[in-house]
Amino acid sequence: MSVKHVLTTCPYCGCGCNFYLQVVDGRLVGVIPCKTDVIGQGRLCIKGYNAHAFVQHPDRLTHPLVRDGSQMRKASWDEALDRVVSEIKRISSKYGPDSVAVFSSAKFTNEENYLVQKLARVAIGTNNIDHCARLCHASTVAGLVYSFGSGAMTNSIPEFEDADCLLVTGSNTLETHPMIGARMVRAIDRGAKAIVVDPRETPLSRIAHISLHQRPGTDIAWIDGIARIIITENLYDKEFVETRTAKFEELKSAVEEYTPERVEAISGIPKDKLVEVARLYARSKKAMIAYAMGVTQHSNGTEIVRSLANLAMLCGHIGKESSGVNPLRGQNNVQGSCDAGALPNYYPGYQSVAAPEMKAKFEKAWNKQLPEKPGVTLTEAFELAAKGQIKAIISFGENAMVSDPDITHVEKGIRNLEFFAAADIFNTETTKFAHVILPAACYAEKDGTFTCTDRKVRRVRKAVDAPGEAWPDWKIACELGKRFGAPGFDFSSPAQVMDEFASVAPIYAGISFDRLEKEILTWPCTAKDQPGARILHVGGFKMGRGAFAPVKHADPAEMPSAEYPMILSTGRNLFQYHTGTMTRKSPKLEREAPVPYVEMNDADARRMKVAEGDRVRVSSKRGNITLVARVTRNIMPGVLFIPFHYAEAAANMLTNPALDPIAKIPEYKVCAAKVEKA
Amino acid sequence: MNDLGRKLAKIAFEERKADYLLAARDESGNVAPAFVSKGEDVGDVRMDVPYQLVMVLTKLYPWIGKGKIAVVARRCDEKALNELTKRGIFDAERIVKVGLACSKEQIAKCRCDDPVPSKVDFGEPQKGAASDELAGKLLKMTGEERLKFWVRQFRKCNKCFGCTTNCPVCFCDHACVLEERELVAEKSIPPGLAFHLVRSFHMADKCIECGECERSCPADIPLLTLRKLVKKDMKELYNYAPGNEKAISPLLTTLEGDKLEDDSNVC
Repeated sequence: MSVKHVLTTCPYCGCGCNFYLQVVDGRLVGVIPCKTDVIGQGRLCIKGYNAHAFVQHPDRLTHPLVRDGSQMRKASWDEALDRVVSEIKRISSKYGPDSVAVFSSAKFTNEENYLVQKLARVAIGTNNIDHCARLCHASTVAGLVYSFGSGAMTNSIPEFEDADCLLVTGSNTLETHPMIGARMVRAIDRGAKAIVVDPRETPLSRIAHISLHQRPGTDIAWIDGIARIIITENLYDKEFVETRTAKFEELKSAVEEYTPERVEAISGIPKDKLVEVARLYARSKKAMIAYAMGVTQHSNGTEIVRSLANLAMLCGHIGKESSGVNPLRGQNNVQGSCDAGALPNYYPGYQSVAAPEMKAKFEKAWNKQLPEKPGVTLTEAFELAAKGQIKAIISFGENAMVSDPDITHVEKGIRNLEFFAAADIFNTETTKFAHVILPAACYAEKDGTFTCTDRKVRRVRKAVDAPGEAWPDWKIACELGKRFGAPGFDFSSPAQVMDEFASVAPIYAGISFDRLEKEILTWPCTAKDQPGARILHVGGFKMGRGAFAPVKHADPAEMPSAEYPMILSTGRNLFQYHTGTMTRKSPKLEREAPVPYVEMNDADARRMKVAEGDRVRVSSKRGNITLVARVTRNIMPGVLFIPFHYAEAAANMLTNPALDPIAKIPEYKVCAAKVEKA
Repeated sequence: MNDLGRKLAKIAFEERKADYLLAARDESGNVAPAFVSKGEDVGDVRMDVPYQLVMVLTKLYPWIGKGKIAVVARRCDEKALNELTKRGIFDAERIVKVGLACSKEQIAKCRCDDPVPSKVDFGEPQKGAASDELAGKLLKMTGEERLKFWVRQFRKCNKCFGCTTNCPVCFCDHACVLEERELVAEKSIPPGLAFHLVRSFHMADKCIECGECERSCPADIPLLTLRKLVKKDMKELYNYAPGNEKAISPLLTTLEGDKLEDDSNVC
């Protein structure tokens, strides 16, 4: 009899809670929260408690599958991998390596992301490498790199509980980052003032000091409005602005037009409330901004991020304890996937592909000539596939047929590919289009690291064997790399991969598996004898001065019309996760939220004669879905909300693929829609 | 293996003839629950056990077909074991207790009035705490004020089910009353008052006041105080306190007893 308690990191959100997987003779039987964990402190959310439930599900993929005509059949790893390599080689030599795109995954470990981006760049010869950060925080990376010189959360999760003021916008924190929400609740219990700005009432806004609702797509107006009040009332930190920032005068003239009256007209936020929020934020000693997809998933998401950064710099609320601008990253390892270079414009450690000295550095490190041109993004790749310019995609763990905007168009792109390979743990709506399916190990079946939203690098430890012949993705990437004949894919463990990653990325230079066994490490961790920086920008911005961004309100790409009079927003709920691949196979999670639904305001519902529980058809220019109406006062009139977890009524049949011009993130938070009784 | 580990292994495997041992030990910079077989290295054992080890055992027990299991047990763990064996969920013959007396700090945290196990193998016996301060304050409030207090607290609930998942005496795994849709609606976060009240009453004759629900609550809801208030009612109404190895819950007994007065039918 063998009983193990294996310490590992949760595979769901970016909080990075650690827990023990209980294993009895190779069977996963439970989850015990780690009582001494710096993040979870012995507490978890319902997803964490059920993180074992999908792992040994009978539907797991257990053998490689290859397509013969319209049928998929079992194949050996040799046959499946050789098919991938020969097809990619054929397409690459016919159309050039940039006709191939590789998608990595924010569910992967850092080591796997490092290898997958290396596979694209070194083995295939293209910078067309991206992952689902494109869909969640691409605008954060682009926005905060401009403002502060670094695109990551500036402070750490435990600091939330010591703040005096929390400005939370576009984040349903208690549902989507429960253990960060818990710290906020603790701050509120202590007497901190929480301000939540969101088109919906959320579990957090209901216990917050101030809860305000902005019309979706009007964020820059109210944020600039707050900046204006802070400037005109002389509430800003003059010393900080003078010594640490640039472009203050440009900001001042940009926000001039956003008077409280004008902000109220644009956003619906009452002017006196706006003044109250501005004063509260500016006068608080320790004020933290937290935000998530409600800010980033807009066609001007990058500018909204910069407008929030403006506020923090104006008040000097950055570079110290319990302050800063804190993007809450959605996936367990979306931070690490970006860090490891699974991005078309960055090598590992945010070293620019466009900089010749970086290209030279990596050519030397990887012993191979690298492609010059930055690659295409995940959102552009399907569009280019539809146009016939991308011919082949290798997709690791990406379920684009549920997660990407305008699914009908995504399908057109996938169908137009000459070759499509998918690695995953289950069959998904996307793998059914694949020519080759590679069965992958999940988090409980492999070693590695995840980097959680506050930049802590956390160990993932193997608790059980992968089912059947499934392999961890790091092994799949290595085997593919070797078969392409590329140098540098000879790794026997993830620890070795981390050593190479640390040797090329200065922000990870001090990180190794040995050290992680004993201590908490946070990047930037540049030396083996220091734990890394918990708070960024202390004493100054690395790039010199922080840059104010003069940004202006602009309407969303698609506005309500006579035919589509409502604004549709999409997002998550507490119990399901993203495309449901894991949570919908976890009985206790599925039973809490089994049915797709649309939330609508009770006054709108009355007008349309829709009652709670009625089936309704929601349509946009791009398609329609039928689902259950949830009538509530917790959403603004004129706004609809649909969680995107449910393939049977996929919200992304409706969403607008309009992209932010800088970050290429889609505008999931606003499209025009209508509701009819079904 | 440290000295505590050696002493513990000796008591569990040699003196009390256990086949397995459940304790807490240092591992990878954290304190981990550790389940080891006889002969295996027990490791660097900790006696400031942060886990409710009987809860950890409830999850493993169904999978461990045979053999004696030793568990480091505080007084509350011991009472939880009594509730579990009395109900036939654990076989008393298969459980070996290694008694741990709680420290002063631990007693203060739990506001515990019964901190010393029947046999002390580790720790020094300490006096119990006199009372729960918050419970005292609440009892001085009007019913209306008290309700307001709890509504504010329950509004923070994020439905993690940590209070049930981590409860050593919550054993209706496949028929949890909180999953009953008539009582707890599917869509609500926070869940309604019923979630907490139904759980309160459901646990009234089982709760051994270990406080694990409160420690597990991400919202810091003072759930142990709620438990202590229910316990007070149980004591006053039924003269019953859970945790005794023999006493059967008055809520489970039949309506036998003394002959009723003649006027008992008069309404």
